[in-house]
Amino acid sequence: MRLSPREIVEAALREGRRKLLEHEAYALLEHYGLPVPRHALARSLEEAVEAAEHVGYPVVLKVVSPDIVHKSDVGGVVLGLRSEEEVAEAYARIVENVKRRAPEARIYGILVQHMVPEGVEVIVGATRDPVFGPVVMFGLGGIFVEVLKDVSFRVVPLTEDDAEEMIREIKGYAVLKGVRGIARRDIAALKRIILGVARIMEEIPEVRELDLNPVMSYPEGQGAAIADARVIVARPGEEPEEHV
Amino acid sequence: MSLDPFFRPRGVAVVGATPRPGAPGYVIVEQLRRKYRGRVYPVNPKYEEVLGLPSYPSLLDVPDPVDLAVVVVAAPKVPGVVEEAGRRGVPAVIVVSGGFAEVGGEGVELQRRLIEVARRYGVRVIGPNCIGVLDTSSGLDTFFLPEDRLPRPPRGPVAIASQSGALLSMWLEWMAAEGLGVSKAVSYGNKVDVDEVDVIEYLVEDPDTKIILLYIEGLRPGRGRAFVEAVRRALAAGKPVVALKGGRTERGALAARSHTAALASGYQLYRAVFKQAGVVEVEDMQALFDVAKAYVMLGPLRGRRLLIVTNAGGEGVLATDYADMYGLEVPQLGAEVRERLRRHLPPHAVVGNPVDLTADTDDERYRVVFDEVLSRERFDAVLVIAPPHPPGMSWRVAEYAADAMRRFGVPFAAVVTGGKLAEALAAEFERRGVPAYPTPERGVRALAALAAIGEAMGRARRLLAGARGADR
Repeated sequence: MRLSPREIVEAALREGRRKLLEHEAYALLEHYGLPVPRHALARSLEEAVEAAEHVGYPVVLKVVSPDIVHKSDVGGVVLGLRSEEEVAEAYARIVENVKRRAPEARIYGILVQHMVPEGVEVIVGATRDPVFGPVVMFGLGGIFVEVLKDVSFRVVPLTEDDAEEMIREIKGYAVLKGVRGIARRDIAALKRIILGVARIMEEIPEVRELDLNPVMSYPEGQGAAIADARVIVARPGEEPEEHV
Repeated sequence: MSLDPFFRPRGVAVVGATPRPGAPGYVIVEQLRRKYRGRVYPVNPKYEEVLGLPSYPSLLDVPDPVDLAVVVVAAPKVPGVVEEAGRRGVPAVIVVSGGFAEVGGEGVELQRRLIEVARRYGVRVIGPNCIGVLDTSSGLDTFFLPEDRLPRPPRGPVAIASQSGALLSMWLEWMAAEGLGVSKAVSYGNKVDVDEVDVIEYLVEDPDTKIILLYIEGLRPGRGRAFVEAVRRALAAGKPVVALKGGRTERGALAARSHTAALASGYQLYRAVFKQAGVVEVEDMQALFDVAKAYVMLGPLRGRRLLIVTNAGGEGVLATDYADMYGLEVPQLGAEVRERLRRHLPPHAVVGNPVDLTADTDDERYRVVFDEVLSRERFDAVLVIAPPHPPGMSWRVAEYAADAMRRFGVPFAAVVTGGKLAEALAAEFERRGVPAYPTPERGVRALAALAAIGEAMGRARRLLAGARGADR
């Protein structure tokens, strides 16, 4: 059963959640044609092994719980799994860790996600500004965004030119254009992600903030892949409270 | 409702009019009586007449027609006056008085009551805490500063909208001194109702306005999108918006929640929005007027290719540096043109771009370069650097520049650096329609802004054409 973006957001808000669970966020993004990693929610060890086969190795396993804020802190994430045995072992380990370190947490299942290949990391985000309304951001990931704040903004709705300019105007564009040892990136794929995020912000007022971080950017013609997504929701008029 | 009653009302009431010279209620009546073509009604129960005009006890007693009330009474009385305007059917009120939200405390409550009364009666408000409107076409002038202190600028194509009344006043005097003509000037102070978006939208339709200058600190919440659209409509109508941004927005609670929210600091967002909308942002007051002058005299540039002709090598180098910094191209001349120039110019002249005619030049060399280059290669602008110090130079260079500008249809700007002699030559350039600047950075910066304006206009027109196409 595939839920519409509205239904996904509505379900989270009904449960009093401000942050979409990872598979919910992916489902929302996928609806807008954004390149999310192949993933499946497993509720048993057998399902996890089957899911790993389906999404393709290597995979990462992550606990899915509305009550666990920092998954890694409770041992709820295991990366780089390359075989059935490793998946089975990791599944058991996560269940064990969570039972011990977060015994009260509700567990919806374990997310089995294809581990996307490394690329040039970029970030695409969005927020709502009191003056300008929905605003989309683009930048190179890692230290470029954290330390240098090398990012660009545009207000929604965006034209194709706006998206193109957002990419070109950061200083890190030099890297995306290709420098020694790094091939030119697939700029069109990044544009599509920026425009998709702008559409989400335009069409779903409950989405308050959105961070796709990192997005792996691949060489020309090879697209891009979202490696992690964070979507904060709230009913219109309500402020998203302190969280995560 | 159109903002017409604020700019060309059929009658104006001045509430708080007074015969006490120098007081705002005096200066405003005096200005209106001298220049404004409609009826003027002083309102003050204390007086029988003000400046020879009959004074009415309240707005309710003022005869028809009255489209605008200018209010200068103390803040606590203002909500009552606005209520009278509503009951009297006066559609527009300019509240000059201060003492509202800007002072905090009781002022906040007074402002809330002012807004409430205005909404209840559907009265449009400019202000409070502002100097209001100057319209050189209708003669409306609500500025409470007397003309011996604040000379008014001549009629012209420049409109100014400013959050600050004081800055607006200074700028008007500056423009009066520079001979830059003004169509309309508005300060909206606390902007409880009319804001920059409304004003830009009104100016789009104003036949007297060709360029809009903006001093902006912050837009009202929720007005960002409307601002972008108003600017695009102005650009599509051939009216650039040039802005000087003051202040930065505290975004307190919103910051630090996610990467994106934390990074979306106030000013950075404004810069992005200016770019997206096509606002040309300038870094200081000087640039605001440099750009306005260039635009009024030259209009937008078609592209970014700049030809530099100089008699001073160093200024040519500096101009090239600034061109690069501000995004103008200084492309090398083609082989054929270089060959022709070499035949016409002495061997020590530097043939390239910039063309350096050197200190033994006369005006004729400039003319030869304009003709040879512009008849063979496409440039979008020419920067003539003409310090008047070489003995061979006269004022004919200005004539040659103006003549080439006309014949080849390429905008020219001049840089004339120096003292009194330079000022005189600069004035000669401007008399002939070539804007002149005392330094290469100012000249190049103004031309670069004209290129940005040209691009922004093209883009706004494509966007609006696309939007209309999508509607069909």
